[in-house]
Parts: sequence; C-alpha cells; structure tokens
Amino acid sequence: MLLQGFSVVFTIQNLGACFLGAVLGLIIGAMPGIGSLAGVALLLPLTYKFNPTTAIIMLGALYYSNMYGGSFSAILLNIPGDSPAIMTTLDGYPMATKRNRPGQALMTADCASFVGGTVGMLILTFMGPALANIGLKFGPAEMTALLLVAMTSIGWLVGKNPTKGVVLTFMGILVASMGMDTLSGSPRYDFGNMYLLGGIPFTPFVIGTVGFAQVMRLMGERNKIVESGVKQKLSIKGSMLTGHDIKRLLPPALRSGFLGTFVGVLPGAGATTGAFLGYAAQKAFKSEDPLGTGAIEGIAASESANNAAAAGAFAPLLALGIPGSGTGAVLLGGLMMWGLNPGPLLFSTNPDFAWGLISSLFLANILTLAIAVGIIPWLIKILSVPVKVLIPCIIVVCLVGSYSTTYSLYGVIIMLVSGILGYILEQSGYSTAPMLLAFVLSPMLESNMRKSFIISHGSLRIFFEKPIACVLMIILFAIVLVPVTRSIVKAFHKK
Amino acid sequence: MKLKSLSKQIIPIGACIVGLLFLVLGLTKYGFWDPMQGPRPGFYPVIISIGLIATSILAFIGSFKDKDASFPVENWYCAIGLIAIILASFVIGMVPSILAFLLLWLRWFEKCTWKTTIITTIVMMAIVIGAFVLWLDVDFPMGIIYNLIAG
Repeated sequence: MLLQGFSVVFTIQNLGACFLGAVLGLIIGAMPGIGSLAGVALLLPLTYKFNPTTAIIMLGALYYSNMYGGSFSAILLNIPGDSPAIMTTLDGYPMATKRNRPGQALMTADCASFVGGTVGMLILTFMGPALANIGLKFGPAEMTALLLVAMTSIGWLVGKNPTKGVVLTFMGILVASMGMDTLSGSPRYDFGNMYLLGGIPFTPFVIGTVGFAQVMRLMGERNKIVESGVKQKLSIKGSMLTGHDIKRLLPPALRSGFLGTFVGVLPGAGATTGAFLGYAAQKAFKSEDPLGTGAIEGIAASESANNAAAAGAFAPLLALGIPGSGTGAVLLGGLMMWGLNPGPLLFSTNPDFAWGLISSLFLANILTLAIAVGIIPWLIKILSVPVKVLIPCIIVVCLVGSYSTTYSLYGVIIMLVSGILGYILEQSGYSTAPMLLAFVLSPMLESNMRKSFIISHGSLRIFFEKPIACVLMIILFAIVLVPVTRSIVKAFHKK
Repeated sequence: MKLKSLSKQIIPIGACIVGLLFLVLGLTKYGFWDPMQGPRPGFYPVIISIGLIATSILAFIGSFKDKDASFPVENWYCAIGLIAIILASFVIGMVPSILAFLLLWLRWFEKCTWKTTIITTIVMMAIVIGAFVLWLDVDFPMGIIYNLIAG
C-alpha cells in the first residue's frame, strides 16, 4: 500500500507541492512567532485550486518540515521558532556558542529530526490504526497523570536546584490561568483589563522569556564575544558529525522517536509535550556532557521527539478523524473542505489519498533533511555576525514576531515584560524552561483534571482505578520522591 | 552600578506575593468547589497557588546560600530601545520606527561603519517588509502622522 502511495506522490505536481511545503515549512519554522498552526492556516487558502491529494501533501510536508525549522533560530539565536523547539534551546544554543560547534549543533538537530521522523512514520505506516485506538484509551484521568509526569519531571530535572524549578512550574501555571476559565469560559484573573481577558498570548511570552531575555544578557558581553568570534568553517563538510558524535546521537534519537510518536498520538498532547518528555527521559540515561551545557544527547532527544510526535499526530487524524493538535484541527478542516471524511474507512475508500499522504511524509522527511543540511553554511553565517550587530536585529525579530501573532502592541508589551522577567529569573539562577512548559501544558492539565473530578465526584480514586493512570501516577511519585529520598540519604551519610 | 540588595530574595518574595494574590482571589471571587457542579474556576489556581506559596518559602530559605544576582545597567539598554520603538510607533508608525532604530543603534550607539549599518538595515527591512508586510499581510501600526496625512 505504501508503494502505491509513492506512485501517487511521484508526479511532477505532487513532488513540486511536497518540495514547496518543505521549503515553506523550514522558513515558517525558523521565523519566531508564526509556528506550524499559523503556517498551515495561512497556506490553506492557497491549496483551494489543488486536488485534495496535492493539497494535503503540501500542507503535510509544511507541518512536518516546520519541526526542522524551529530548531534553526533556537540553536543560532536562542529563540525557539515554535514551541516544540523550546527544549532545543537548552543544549542547542550552548553547543553553538559556548562549544563553538554551530554547524554540528544544526546537523545534530537535522539528523535527529530525520531519525525521529522516520521512526514515527514507520510506526504510523504499520501501526497507525492500532495506535489511534491506544490514544482513545487516554481519558481525562490518564491525560492528567501524563501531564503531571511531564511537568514534574522538567521541574525537577532542569537546573541544579529542584525547588527553583518547581516554583517556576507553579508560576507558569498561574500565568496560564489568566484570562478565561477553560471549562466555563468565565473571566478569571483579568484584573478588569480587556486585553488580559484573552489571556497571556503564548508566542510573545516565549519570545520574551527566551529570546529577549537572552538579548539583555548578551548586551553586557557583546564586546568580549566580538573578539572571540565564531571559528566554525562555513561549509557542510566542516559541519559534519564525527563517528563519535553519531554514536552519541543515535540512542537518544531512537528512544525519543518511539516516545514522541506515542505522545503525538495522544489527543491534544502534540509535538511540544513530545519534546519535553523526550528531553526529560534523556535525563534518565547517560549523557557525555551534562544536559543544558551543549550536549548532543539533549538536542537529539528533543528534536527527534518533536518530529516523531508530528508524524504520530497523523494516526488519530487519519484513522479516527480526531486531531491531535491545533495544526491537526486545521488539517482536519482542510480534509472536510475537500469532501473527505477521515476515519477507519478513509484507508479503504480513499487509499490514494491516505497512502499518498503517508508516502509524501517520507519524501518530505528526506527532502527537508537535504535542504536543511544544504543551508547550514548560510545559517552559520548568522553566528559570525558580530554580536553588537546581531543584538538590534534580534530585538527587531522579537518585536515583529510578537506583534504579528496578536496584531496589537499588547503582544509586544507582553514580550517586553516577559523578557525582563526572564532576564531577572535567569540572572537569579532560575531556569525558565519549567515555566514555559507549565504555561503550554497548563490549560490541558486543568481541563483534564477538572473533568476527572467531575466524573469521579471529587474522588482521587479515579487516578488509581484505571491501569494506565495508576502506572503514570506511580511514575509521578517516583519522580518526586526519588530525588528527595536521595538527598535525605546523602545528608544522613554526611553526618 | 549593580542592584544587589535583596537580589537573591526578589524571586521567592515575588512568587509568594503572586501565590497569595491568586489564592485570595481564587477563594473569594472565583470559587473553589460546588457540591453540585464540582470544581469551580478557582479550584485549579487555588491548588497551584498553595503549592507556589509553599515552594517559594522553601526557595526563600535556600536563597541565603545563593550567589548575589547582578543586573548591570548596560543590559537594560535593549529594553529602553524597545520601549523607544513602541512609543515612536504611535507617532511615525512601526516600520519607520524599526528603520530609525536600526540606523541609530548601529551607527550612533554601536559606532558601526556606514557599510555595516546600511547592509544590516537593508537585510532586516527586507525581512520585515518582505515576509511580514507583503507575504503575511501583517498590518503594522501606521502612526499619527500617517493617519493625519491619509485623513
């Protein structure tokens, strides 16, 4: 069936659509403030004139290559192009700047994305409908437990001081709870402000906390950095990974590939959760360099997981007609617009379409890798620009990126305030990653937690009665209790 | 010039205040639990704010062991530059404000050569106008002056 799909893709029109989608996805992914959701939504009207297969091939390739593009600005500028790339900044930027290996950092991201995407699509090809059914077993209680695991693990694992991580996790959740109540829609913590009624917009918040805060920190160091410069060769050859690098990259990329695909299948979880869990899981394994200091393993784990999750998200979309993310919802809208009804019958009633899409994702993966590797020398040039020249450019990127998502100066002000907050936090030794994770996942967690309590009439038993939720809760307790017990034992031994 | 007094305790104290604010508002204004309807809008933030208050107290106790945080004045120039663009956007519009910002920052503040200044400005303006204005159709503020001229 897959070969039949490839025969559908290998027409000039479909190949061209796949190539165009891959290029646009890379550009959109690299531009902070746009993201895959806006990218797919913006391009949806352009596909009206195409036949459904060509149109979905282009949008699928765009969605998929967007995951690659997000890592570019994360690694080179410390500004994640999209939320799934937040974790890539933790090791990508230090590897590019402190370890002076920007080419290898980009190559690691590209290769890990390819590995994760390939794992995800192989699983999608052979187990798509079965996976979608597993995803359906995740009700509110299971999703609550899974999201608690994701949040707690990052809170504990990022940074040297777990308490600081947990403080910022809670802060992120509270910031996300401003605006509208997720279930009733009633105003909450808006302080009578019309703009706050809509909540804190995600993209300006991330651009500020990560990107603008980074620019503020760079200001004091700009003249020192100019002297050192980037000594990386501006060539693909000079960016190649060594055999040892590949040995470090493959295990986390493969692990995160499986984990990310599974997370992608879950309703609403998406590539961002996949990347966070992939990175958190890597903490349990050995890394040659500590995570957060420019470790190849860190980039590989997060990049592989977000691409795999993007592939996994197609399983419930195609097999059940349930979108796994906002982008999936737009794609579903597109499918319906073209008169197709996703569901178990899609593979039998429209095999050309379903298998053509899956084959195009394989092709988009290869095409995007080739393009992404090919443009590395040009991308590295960004880092060879003196920091004092780069600073005003990043300020402008932060400004237009945050404005373009809200179409008002409110977004810019949120970016400025969160940038100052991020700067103060980082200078005080607080890593902002847990806050961002909590901010992204909080609405989903609240919605699922409240639904669980409504179903159980306020009883906590719902989290322990179902096997999946119970296992996840045990993992959650282990994540919380193991470090505490370890530190108590250490303190006892010291005495 | 460095702001060192209480710098280590700023975050835990601030977090505790935020936690208290969300807790009080959650309990008094939004409600915690309804016997018939279950969790109310304040339910989730109240639980989280209790956690925040508890952990911020722990962070406050631990903060005395931390190193002093420093906030050099030079690092705040970016924020001042951004505020200047926002204010100028109301008068001359956002795109001309960005143009003026790039020229002034590179040539006057960083003392870059004219060549570097002009090349950087052209590249950045091409991205802003090409990608955001023309392709994505982002409607940037035009400013009071333009609005007066355009009527």
